[in-house]
Amino acid sequence: MLTTAGLGVTIGTAGCVREVRNAVNRDGRDRLSLTITTLPADGDRESIQLARTVRDTLEAVGIDASLAILSHEEFLRAILTNHEFDAYVGRYPGGSDPAYLYETLHSQYADESGWQNPFGVTSLALDDVLERQRRADGQQRREAVEETVETFAAEQPFVPICAPDEYRLVRTDRFDGWGERHPGTAQGYLGLEMVGESSDEEGDGDGDGDRDRDGDEDKVARLRAAHTDPRPSQNLNPLSAEYRHRGLVTGLLYDSFAVDPDVIGPLEDGGNDGANTRQANDGNGGDDEADELTTGIDLHPWLAESWEWERNDDALVLSVRLRDDVRFHDGEPLTADDVEFTYRFLADTTLGADGIPAPSPRHRGAIAGLEAVEGSEDGHRVELRFDAGSGTAAAARALTVPILPKHVWRDRSTPADVTGVRIAEGTTDALVVDNVPAVGSGPFAFADRTDREHVTLERSDDHFSVRPGLDLPEPTVSEVQIAIDPRSTSAIELVAGDDADVTTTTLESYVIDDVLEIADGNDDLEVLESPPRTFYHLGFNARTAPFTNPRFRRTVARLIDKAWIVEDIFDGYATPVSSPVASEWVPDELAWDDDDPATPFLGTDGTGDIDIDAARSAFEAAGFDYDANGRLRTREGN
Amino acid sequence: MLVRVLVQLTVVVALSLLVSTAVFVGRYRLRDTRLEWRDRVRAAAPITVVLAVVLLFNSVARQTVPELSWMIGYRWTETPIYDLEGEFILWLQAQATPELTAYFSFIYIYGYVFLLVFPLVAYFALSNTRPLRELLTAYTLNYALGLLCYVFVIAYGPRNVMPELVDALLYDTYPQYQHLTRQVNRNTNVFPSLHTSLAATVGFLAYRTRRVYPKWAVVAGFLSLSVAISTMYLGIHWVIDVLAGIGLAFVSVFLAGHLVGQWSVWDWLENRVSFR
Repeated sequence: MLTTAGLGVTIGTAGCVREVRNAVNRDGRDRLSLTITTLPADGDRESIQLARTVRDTLEAVGIDASLAILSHEEFLRAILTNHEFDAYVGRYPGGSDPAYLYETLHSQYADESGWQNPFGVTSLALDDVLERQRRADGQQRREAVEETVETFAAEQPFVPICAPDEYRLVRTDRFDGWGERHPGTAQGYLGLEMVGESSDEEGDGDGDGDRDRDGDEDKVARLRAAHTDPRPSQNLNPLSAEYRHRGLVTGLLYDSFAVDPDVIGPLEDGGNDGANTRQANDGNGGDDEADELTTGIDLHPWLAESWEWERNDDALVLSVRLRDDVRFHDGEPLTADDVEFTYRFLADTTLGADGIPAPSPRHRGAIAGLEAVEGSEDGHRVELRFDAGSGTAAAARALTVPILPKHVWRDRSTPADVTGVRIAEGTTDALVVDNVPAVGSGPFAFADRTDREHVTLERSDDHFSVRPGLDLPEPTVSEVQIAIDPRSTSAIELVAGDDADVTTTTLESYVIDDVLEIADGNDDLEVLESPPRTFYHLGFNARTAPFTNPRFRRTVARLIDKAWIVEDIFDGYATPVSSPVASEWVPDELAWDDDDPATPFLGTDGTGDIDIDAARSAFEAAGFDYDANGRLRTREGN
Repeated sequence: MLVRVLVQLTVVVALSLLVSTAVFVGRYRLRDTRLEWRDRVRAAAPITVVLAVVLLFNSVARQTVPELSWMIGYRWTETPIYDLEGEFILWLQAQATPELTAYFSFIYIYGYVFLLVFPLVAYFALSNTRPLRELLTAYTLNYALGLLCYVFVIAYGPRNVMPELVDALLYDTYPQYQHLTRQVNRNTNVFPSLHTSLAATVGFLAYRTRRVYPKWAVVAGFLSLSVAISTMYLGIHWVIDVLAGIGLAFVSVFLAGHLVGQWSVWDWLENRVSFR
């Protein structure tokens, strides 16, 4: 009797508590809060302004948004290496060729560190079109790229905002020939002509700009550059994702097999050089197959004398002929052995030691599909083997990586070692070393540096470009002194006051009006305008909710009035973009035409005013809801 | 460029030192100083050495501190600094006129250096070396404690967060000063404002010595207030940095008052000699 009663009570209680448990253990949705990571104004004035605009926009539609401001290195480390961010605003060092999208968006790279898929985007649809883009050539490739752009527009793995115009101020009274090649690249500083014999005799103006230099400054033709980014004075590692932007300075120190013809520029029309290009492309005898293999390849021989393509059943083979008698700056010869090593090293800086591979964070895409590298016995030829399906247009990017000296870098495959601290697996010395002094084979050799003050390079007198008979731009100045100057305004003053010849970093947009005016009133000054090589974007960490949801990303993209941002933040010196590739690759229906074709702004175009109701409806349509206080709620976490 | 700015700074400060020495210190004190300077140097030497060591260490450590901070420091720019004080800096900047900008830029560079150097002259001219020793001790404490804060707090100043609203008035109006100040300052070292704390230190001590230098007390108070405002007006520091700077000054002056006279290097040396 008693037992039965007890049992009844127990059953009753258990049922009651279970209901409580059922109720208590259900998690609700919380207000969405996110942090936008960006750079301080000293590092990138437009980024912080953009980030604040985005924050205000998100706050307006009921999302709790805040900013995190990090220095350049820490910013890139957080985004690229640690993936510790919700969203970020910054510049993407894209490329003129859409091939870079492969490593940027392919899901196979979602867990890696570096410029390969920092967003952690995983989409079968994207993978599919990217794979096709990598394998195709010619018209098929164009179609695949257009499809990639369309898929991109739908999924918005990140939001391209605008491509800033590049402006630089130069002095023309000491050097001429500016702007023939893109001044954002190493080649832009080759082939400069000295103006008048006297100019390098009389030194440079009042002389007090060269603070720690002594009298023999008068004898050298020194190119004085003002650089607003201090990182080259701190680190010259071509593999470092944190310390490199587009690799201008390391481009002067290291050679690659080939360079972008957009960069080489006017040489394409030059007489001798045409032969050189043809030699490279017709090496295979000029039959149909060779034509088919080389169409769409847009590279010019540099460290390579020539190259040939060959496709067989199980591989695409690129065989490269090295120039004779090339030496590194320390006098060691550059051989096929160094080349073989470089490709192995970039693919895995641990060189196959135990543990996880640690590829170079900057060159993953360039060597995608590369399966084997083999040097010939005489040391003059190297064969690069790509997987059978590779297209030549994508594979040719392997020609653009810097060639490293094996005798310097081989020992850097060991894990970085800090006494008493456990370092993450796959952190090799190669990824963290500052690489000073840098030993490359490039047109300039490292000479000196002082942290946050300057880095100085001197001409490599036996660089192959100075050899007679080669029509390549050569190092004409005997020294390049890159002085670090943290702000555009003071960099401009250095150039205007004849304490510098060029601002190597692009000028911030808020000073461009003034610079144009200054240059207008001074015959010795000229403003170089060059095509953009980067674009500003809003990146999401698609590894966590709600950024995993393409509908959420799309809706956020539609809150950004790109045309207004260009006017308001960039003073009109930028181009609003909706696709992450150059306009020639964008399909017609996605071409920018007064408004954003992919993610039209939810508000009045060109004013930045959001239609809050429309924005809320858009979020609701995407499956999110608002609480009574107008705050967007979501289920956070993974 | 840097040389030009430095020469300019030296000339202006030297001239103002001459004038103010004539005005505040006066002939009689200078006469006594000529007679007693050896004793005074002897009295101030130990703490001067300590200050020199701290400054030297500081200049080396400034290279390393940011590297350390990014590993162990707290990032304060957004929270709590920006959240707490909101828009005060914007309001202050809205009052900007070209005259004010010229005035505060002048104060930030020239007024500040003068304010720090002149008390050394003025207190050296006193027979009682205590104010001089207190001043040097307080400077030392400012630099030492300030550096410690810089290790643990990473914060960017207003000009780095709101570049278009807070005009970086100093560096855009007078870009040449960028060459000067970047030798000294790292942009993550804004909490506390060392400009403010050193200026306030001089102000507090000038108040303490107001019976000896009544006119200087007034001038020092005015200048140190100007320096504090200039750091905010020019978009270099937040209000919180300035308040923390005043706090640091107070602590430094308080500690200096207690520490000075506690130990004497010379007595210690004499004792050692007599024991033998």
